[in-house]
Amino acid sequence: MTDLLRWFSEPYGSSFMRNAGLVAVLIGILAPTVGVWVVLRRIAYLGDAMSHGTLSGVAAAYFAGINVAIGALCAGLLMGLLVALLERQRRVSQDSAIGVIETLLFAAGVLLISRNDRAGVDLTHFLFGQIVTADRSDLAVNAALTSVALMVVAVLFDDLRTITFDAPHARQVGVNVRALQLALIVLISITVVVSLDTVGLLMSVALLITPAATARLLTNRVETMTALAVVIGVSSALGGLTLSYHLATPPGPTIAVATVAWFTGAIAVGRPLGRFRHPMT
Amino acid sequence: MTPAAPPALRADGVTVHYGTHLALHEVSFEVGAGELVAVIGPNGAGKSTLLRALCGLVAHRGAVELAGHRCHHRRDRMGTAYIPQRADIDHGFPITVGQLALAGRRRFLRTGQRPGREHRRAAETALRRVGLAAEADRPLGALSGGQVQRAFLARALAQEARLLFLDEALSGVDQPRTEAMLDLFEALRRDGATLLVATHDLALARRRFARCLAINTRLVADGPPARALDNAALEATFGSALSPTR
Repeated sequence: MTDLLRWFSEPYGSSFMRNAGLVAVLIGILAPTVGVWVVLRRIAYLGDAMSHGTLSGVAAAYFAGINVAIGALCAGLLMGLLVALLERQRRVSQDSAIGVIETLLFAAGVLLISRNDRAGVDLTHFLFGQIVTADRSDLAVNAALTSVALMVVAVLFDDLRTITFDAPHARQVGVNVRALQLALIVLISITVVVSLDTVGLLMSVALLITPAATARLLTNRVETMTALAVVIGVSSALGGLTLSYHLATPPGPTIAVATVAWFTGAIAVGRPLGRFRHPMT
Repeated sequence: MTPAAPPALRADGVTVHYGTHLALHEVSFEVGAGELVAVIGPNGAGKSTLLRALCGLVAHRGAVELAGHRCHHRRDRMGTAYIPQRADIDHGFPITVGQLALAGRRRFLRTGQRPGREHRRAAETALRRVGLAAEADRPLGALSGGQVQRAFLARALAQEARLLFLDEALSGVDQPRTEAMLDLFEALRRDGATLLVATHDLALARRRFARCLAINTRLVADGPPARALDNAALEATFGSALSPTR
């Protein structure tokens, strides 16, 4: 037992690893909380595409000399807007619209990076994450963004459930469905921004989707699903970070693998646990 | 002498296009408060479109008046409730029967406001009214087809909707539960609610409804079943494929 505790605590002796641990906890809370609605609304592909498309915003902000978080946020919003506009064409389905816009924004990001060799090196940090380089200012920004996003989810929780389950009814009782859809796009964008330091753009979807999808296997209540997803997210982020220290592996992919391990476990025990859930017809 | 009360619902020239497809053409009728009306027609005739248009869920031309007030904005129709057909309901969604009923109270709440005790009581009362008080904590997906429709009715009652539009509410429900549902519709009607029920079950419409609207893109017939479902009206509504004696 003592050995196990030492194994967990040893990496966090240094301040840079403590910062990394706190950043991991923040994304471990935020991404699954937002991810619950991404999973329930069945827009996992949009979440994945937004994480990739955000590269253009990160690259543009980098070259403009402004905070990359602002660039990432703008790119996420631009992606949501372009997908919505393209969807209005009756012959373009949502997944096709997402595929086209994701390609455009990701390619734009790669083209921008290719114009500057040094930038290419720096921007790979955002693609794959560099959690151990997170400093106090990164921590402060991520904590502020996470707090705002969690408050928004808490305030809109009932309305998110209503628009996800029955959007026509939501409209009828006065819920602004479009505003909530936009709010969700903003929340996904914020999640991607907070993921930049930890798992990076390419694997941010691991913490956005997998913990929520895992929790969905274990419960029939959104509140419980959110709590379980957060537990899975935080334990995957911290567990993955700790494991990466001991195995000398990159933290981002190790965290991503940890989330999938939870998912695999839930698939394995999902059937026995199903006995304790309310039956679904 | 007091003027006559305006009808609970008045549709005047309601027309709906989906792109270039004409789904509903110049449909006009009135329904008085406390009426139970069957909307009949073949698949694709525009029954669901009509109900959705009246609720403001589908863009339409023409006017809709509720209790004498012309509807201009969505909030003008908050006193109406549309109950979707079974195929349009996500039965796997993690929501309990109690949470569904409570969602009806949203029209009385501001964004982010949590429903208080009075709203919970209203939702419980609505669930009791439809006989689902004991099921409040069960997931919606665990209910039978008839119970799901009752749960949606509870949401409409919690919403304090006076005009209920039920889209194929009786499809896939067995005979005893269908009769129980119709008894409930009748009880709600006696309490002053107005119900429009889309169905393609002509025998049921004849037996349990005092008035039928026969729809096939346009309003083909309107009146008691003996008139709205006579041979000529049925042929005009369903075409020659349907035996008029059915």
